[in-house]
Amino acid sequence: MTSAITVRDLRKSFGQNEVLKGVSVDAREGEVISIIGASGSGKSTLLRCIPMLEVPDAGEVAIGGETIRMRSRRGHPEPADIHQVNRIRSSLGFVFQSFNLWAHMTVLQNVIEAPVHVQKRPRGECIAEAEAILEKVGMAEKRDAYPAHLSGGQQQRAAIARALAMRPRALLFDEPTSALDPELVGEVLRVIRGLAEEGRTMLIVTHEMAFAADVSTRTIFLHAGRIEEEGPPAQVFINPRTDRCRAFVTRHLNR
Amino acid sequence: MDFAFLIDTMQKLLAGVPLTLELTFVSVAIGAALAVLLAVLRASFLPCEWLVRAYVFVLRGTPLLLQIFLIYYGIGQFAEVRNSFLWPFLRQPYWCAILALSLNTAAYGAEIIRGGLLAVPQGAAEAARVSGMSGFLLYRRIILPLAIRQALPAYGNELVIMVKSTSLASIVTLMEVSGISYAIISETYRALEVFLCAGSIYLVINFLLTRAIAQAEAWLNPHLRPATS
Repeated sequence: MTSAITVRDLRKSFGQNEVLKGVSVDAREGEVISIIGASGSGKSTLLRCIPMLEVPDAGEVAIGGETIRMRSRRGHPEPADIHQVNRIRSSLGFVFQSFNLWAHMTVLQNVIEAPVHVQKRPRGECIAEAEAILEKVGMAEKRDAYPAHLSGGQQQRAAIARALAMRPRALLFDEPTSALDPELVGEVLRVIRGLAEEGRTMLIVTHEMAFAADVSTRTIFLHAGRIEEEGPPAQVFINPRTDRCRAFVTRHLNR
Repeated sequence: MDFAFLIDTMQKLLAGVPLTLELTFVSVAIGAALAVLLAVLRASFLPCEWLVRAYVFVLRGTPLLLQIFLIYYGIGQFAEVRNSFLWPFLRQPYWCAILALSLNTAAYGAEIIRGGLLAVPQGAAEAARVSGMSGFLLYRRIILPLAIRQALPAYGNELVIMVKSTSLASIVTLMEVSGISYAIISETYRALEVFLCAGSIYLVINFLLTRAIAQAEAWLNPHLRPATS
């Protein structure tokens, strides 16, 4: 199967703090990879490096086999071609922990914004597709509501719809339920589970261990900027090979 | 009370209202466009940042009255200006006043919009970038709409100040409301009545202006109103 997302030997430091110490991930089409680990282990940074929201100090990111070209400017790496980055970004869907909907637009306007203005698709087509997506995430009747008038769960479902409207080749979720009240977590996880069942390629950074074990085809356990353990969820969650992973998983599954 | 005199004065002063409004709106239009440009430039490149800071420092730190004088009396001293295509404009007090008012309000406006830009949530800009937006598109669709909404209350303040600042244009012979009132006083020596009339005109203009700004705020911020559905 072809690679949807390839990350090779990624390194990233914030000041003196080296957050990623050489991480490689290869996500094939249709894979659902959950990334777990303690806070500070580098999992969000890893995810944010893929669409260059954080620029890695070293290493390589490739989407659908196309490597993001980098250059060095005054000793700091940066993407060489912003147009390439924009094109690659618009072929991915990114879902943030804190939703990050655009407050001055309705749900529908949020969803069609990038398809219309970045991908330059006809507005009518985008609206029709957006309505179908909103229906799927259970937000059809809120299409004309503003984000400020929605619950956290509704905002996150709208944000997922916004990501889906890009017709992404892969979806990246950065702790999508961590900012939600406990009773709202379920509705968002149900939507993500539905997407996994459609066979979409997804990378999910999460603290929801039971969900990760259930929904993913592969799990990566990060510790201190390195992949400590990687394998099918049955191995990582039930029969981990490393002590650190076993301790982490036991602590979280028994919560 | 000499009502006949008051009515007569009011009629004369009202003749200056169109010029007062024109000076306000033309200079606010030019100044606002310049302010957005300055604020965005300041946020973008380092050399620009210093240029914009210097501009704001000078234009905000000196009296508007002096700026009008400098442009009206000073700029014509240079042969280059007198020989340039700009001279047909800059020889007229009207365009000198417009220029001074525009440059001045642009300095304040740039700071107000900079505040608006700083208040744009990082996450909103990040979500736009990750959707493939950058540069002009990012500013036009996401950052400026959010920044201007943040800046509007403070910008309303600046608009009210601009209405009053047009009174300084009388110093370069423009007969707007204040200019007319000085002329009437020098003929009649009845400062109290004339200034009360002039003041009430400014009050009415600013009353209407603040209502309009409030309307604009409400219209631009449907997301801050209580939910209807």
